[in-house]
Amino acid sequence: MLEIQEVTVTYPDGTKAVDNFSLQIPDGEHLALIGANGAGKSSLILSLVGVIESKGKIQVDDIVLTPKTISQIRTKIGIVFQNPDDQLFLPTIYDDIAFGPRNLGIDEETIKHRVLDRLELLGISHLKNKSALKMSGGEKRMAAMATILAMKPSVMVLDEPTAFLDPKARRKLINILKSLPHTMLIATHDLTFAKEVCPNCVIMKEGKVFAKGKSENLLYDEKLMDEGGVEAIGV
Amino acid sequence: MLDIRSKLSDFYSLEQLAAKQTYLHKLHPIAKIIVTLVYIVCVVSFPRYNIHSLMPYIFYPLFVMAFADIPFSMILKRAMIALPFCLFAGISNILFDTGIYRIGTLSIGIGWISCIAILIRSLLSVCAILILVAITPFSYLMDGFRQLHTPNVLVLLFEMTYRYIAVLVEEASTMLTSYRLRYPGAKWPVIQDFGPFIGQLFIRSYQRAQRVYAAMQCRLYALGNKKPISLVWKKEDTIFVVVLTLLCVVFRMVDLTVLIGGMLC
Repeated sequence: MLEIQEVTVTYPDGTKAVDNFSLQIPDGEHLALIGANGAGKSSLILSLVGVIESKGKIQVDDIVLTPKTISQIRTKIGIVFQNPDDQLFLPTIYDDIAFGPRNLGIDEETIKHRVLDRLELLGISHLKNKSALKMSGGEKRMAAMATILAMKPSVMVLDEPTAFLDPKARRKLINILKSLPHTMLIATHDLTFAKEVCPNCVIMKEGKVFAKGKSENLLYDEKLMDEGGVEAIGV
Repeated sequence: MLDIRSKLSDFYSLEQLAAKQTYLHKLHPIAKIIVTLVYIVCVVSFPRYNIHSLMPYIFYPLFVMAFADIPFSMILKRAMIALPFCLFAGISNILFDTGIYRIGTLSIGIGWISCIAILIRSLLSVCAILILVAITPFSYLMDGFRQLHTPNVLVLLFEMTYRYIAVLVEEASTMLTSYRLRYPGAKWPVIQDFGPFIGQLFIRSYQRAQRVYAAMQCRLYALGNKKPISLVWKKEDTIFVVVLTLLCVVFRMVDLTVLIGGMLC
């Protein structure tokens, strides 16, 4: 379970990107985080693993985020960044996927099995020795997901996962995400994607929870969505 | 844009060779680092007019490239990049080392001989380093240096510079494309746009580097607190180090070319 309790992120210039934000995601649930640009989604995501400092309580399973538990939390929560290029920085995809497990001190034989297994799961085994520079947007997205899955996280957090994807790659991603048993928090502007992958959603506005509920109801509510700064499905 | 990106892709293609699974690729990185260092020390330690004794050292790059399935042209092309710098160092020898060396009736300026020796020594050393990179994954290589107690600051500096180059080139490539599209005919920014271009490039690449670093942190990367990669030192590693080190030292102590020449005469 991921528990976010009264989390506040304040930038050095005084801007409150996240303001007293609370949320609970039970094990195995896929929850969509929806909000306009600047609503605080990315800041919230980075604060979950302590990359950005925050006030409040963040807890995964029985581990509370503190300076001492930061490594454990980063093993438990895997973040897939909006731009996969930020996540793929090594000469080959194999090295990129092995990067996290190597930092965990896992032996090379186990890492090899883990990397090959994740590549197969996402259907990108052929990319093993390729450089991200020679890959399409969809392939990069899958590779970025593999880098996180190789860490065996219990919670996956995805920031705009459908960005840079064509319809076919988007469909493949939807099918994969639906098949994964992980607890997920998915920040997205793609509402039809959110509806398909996440049964529940939260609307974020000015760093706060503006509304939450079932995706099939909330995402069609024109008035509410408009007040939340986003466009409802079908408008 | 394509030319810069393809250059970057070329830059990484050598490291992609490191993903192969030949006998040499599977050796422990420390074994390969030790052999490369011994090889370079032996090569550069020859007297400056000695060319013929360097000849046996050509076999190491040839042997490794053949067994590790590395294209000769790829290594040679990259090694050639170092050539102008070596030539620059060698030219001063031609100018200031004015003695004459006689082989029978043939007279050659010893400056030329030392210049050629510098070029050969440099090419062999650069080839050895490029081969090391081509048969060892980058992360293993860095870990090998750490395990050899190379100052962590140096390894980190190298690691970060290596990654930052890619970030910088990608950002430059994107900006340049955008510039060219709005400045038809311009290959590079004109002089009055160059300052803002470089400034923006710095800011963009800095921001991008921060995002990359955040992604690294999320996967447990901690500056100065790197866990060693768990690789086992095997019997093959010992054999590789002992045999090649011995060969390098023997080639250094015994002038093989004179020996073979004496046997033939």
